[in-house]
Amino acid sequence: MKEGSSGGGAAAGGNDPRQPSTAKPYAPPKLSPQDLPIDYAGFLAVVFGVVGVMLRVRSHLPATPLLNHSDLRSESDFRVYKVCSWIAIIFCAQSLANMKNYENDLKQLSMAFM
Amino acid sequence: MAAPSWIRLRPPRAALLILLLLALNLTFSLAANFEGFDSDDLPSAAGGLDADDDEEGLDGVDLPPPPPISLSTSAPSPPVTTTSAPNPNPATPTPPNPTPALDLWDEDEFEGIPVPEAISSSDAAAPAEAAPSDPSAEAAAEAAPVPKRTPAELLRSFSVEIACVSFLICFLLNYFTGKRQSENIALAWATKFATRGSIFDKNFSLLGTGDGKDTPLLLKEGQDVFKFYASGRRFCQGMLATMEMRARHDLLSKLVELVFPRKDTITFEVVMNEDAMDHVVLAVARKKAAKMMQKEERDLQRFANVLTSAPAGKKWVSDELAVVAESKEVAGDMITEAVLDQVLGEKAFEKFGKWFISLHFSDQLAGSYKKVLTFKFVLPDASNMSEMTRLVALVPYYIDLVGRYKLSVHARTKTDAARTKAAQEAFKEHQSARHEALLRKKAEKKKLLEEADAKLSAEALRKKEEKERARQMKKSGPKVKMLRS
Repeated sequence: MKEGSSGGGAAAGGNDPRQPSTAKPYAPPKLSPQDLPIDYAGFLAVVFGVVGVMLRVRSHLPATPLLNHSDLRSESDFRVYKVCSWIAIIFCAQSLANMKNYENDLKQLSMAFM
Repeated sequence: MAAPSWIRLRPPRAALLILLLLALNLTFSLAANFEGFDSDDLPSAAGGLDADDDEEGLDGVDLPPPPPISLSTSAPSPPVTTTSAPNPNPATPTPPNPTPALDLWDEDEFEGIPVPEAISSSDAAAPAEAAPSDPSAEAAAEAAPVPKRTPAELLRSFSVEIACVSFLICFLLNYFTGKRQSENIALAWATKFATRGSIFDKNFSLLGTGDGKDTPLLLKEGQDVFKFYASGRRFCQGMLATMEMRARHDLLSKLVELVFPRKDTITFEVVMNEDAMDHVVLAVARKKAAKMMQKEERDLQRFANVLTSAPAGKKWVSDELAVVAESKEVAGDMITEAVLDQVLGEKAFEKFGKWFISLHFSDQLAGSYKKVLTFKFVLPDASNMSEMTRLVALVPYYIDLVGRYKLSVHARTKTDAARTKAAQEAFKEHQSARHEALLRKKAEKKKLLEEADAKLSAEALRKKEEKERARQMKKSGPKVKMLRS
């Protein structure tokens, strides 16, 4: 290796190290759906989405006469479900932003948006 | 991966699911806009709350007033019902109300008349709070059918939305700027090292992931991962460089990185030809990282040890670094004078050490390829890309060095023994695993057979019992004798 910028291989080999005959085109590693990295953001988005819907539904369940204080409860849930839904949207955005291109077909994605 | 399998939703599917959920939420919140009219059906909304809910329903603002206040506003608020009454939903059926007093109260009938129940509800419990809230409620009632709110109030009631939407906007802006930054770094790297006349062009005949002619050099795999592939060189099948950028495009990850800082890294993986690599197991990294690698990487664990002292009579690597190798001979031959001079030696490392993470050469790597050279470096900024020239030059240098390298006979016998032993162990392990699998299969089969047997016998038993019962019935039943006339 003489000077770094001149390419160490060429220096060590003397002649041209290239061998076009042995060139192999790039083969992307095959990934099974099980081996994909876990999409934590997507998972969290689903969780928060479900929690948001649940709170929303719960705060609208007709309360029994015995549970007249439930209107108080629904008031306190009022913001919580909204916040949950917004957090779900934010995590959804993160999940979309972090998507790897081998994981998705663009077609599928566009369908999801439509 | 201990996570349940449904966590591993593929993003498009997850995204679809989320969108569905959000749509559901949206429809719910749309319904919420009209809850003022609907809330009459909810027994939970006692008479006093109705008026309050009406106000909310009209302007579509979901302002949750604190509970005691909402109760107290009930007394003066019936006028609100008059203003909003022109549009009550007559179609909504009123389910039975919890209290008899409410049962009697009909919205249409008592338009504009203060509800007696409502008055009673503003009992002594909250007269104190009633005073401050009253003026605002009255003002709202007098203003217009659609009560106006002061900007401050609006701001407060929408605080969640405002915060989240502004965060989303920031997220979006950051997405584009961060993406641009990462791309700039990757492109700077590619123009420096992979364009015509550069180091990789001189060393590999095929650059880029396409078939050579006029294809982009870099493969973008997500917003923070870039890949560069090269092939067509002696001693090796191909080289894959993977650039992993900091998650600049992702505001949330960026916030996490404030606490756990990360760096842009580039990993070169060179797959060597089967016949071009002798028994070499070697790793060089900073001391802590080297120990970690020795523990975690299977091949290092099995074949190599951390070298405690330098080979005698030689210059050696910087004090910060540790070498993990199969033998001193391999380490001494691999870390040559030139390498020490360029990168790993004391003096050079002071200057270039900040870009160096690790080297790992192995002919026994666990994975799809066994003979792999791995180089891990830190990526500099787009403007300082030339600083890592020496490090990148290590890649072709080591391909040639390892490709030509032959162990001495003495060392070779040792490594041969180690490898045959490892191979035997692996074979044994494989054998035992197969044996176990066979046993398990057998046991399963047996269990299945037994179950079927049990089922069958149960069936038989049931049939037998039925027969028995029938016989008993026959016996106990009145005997009918047929008489022959």
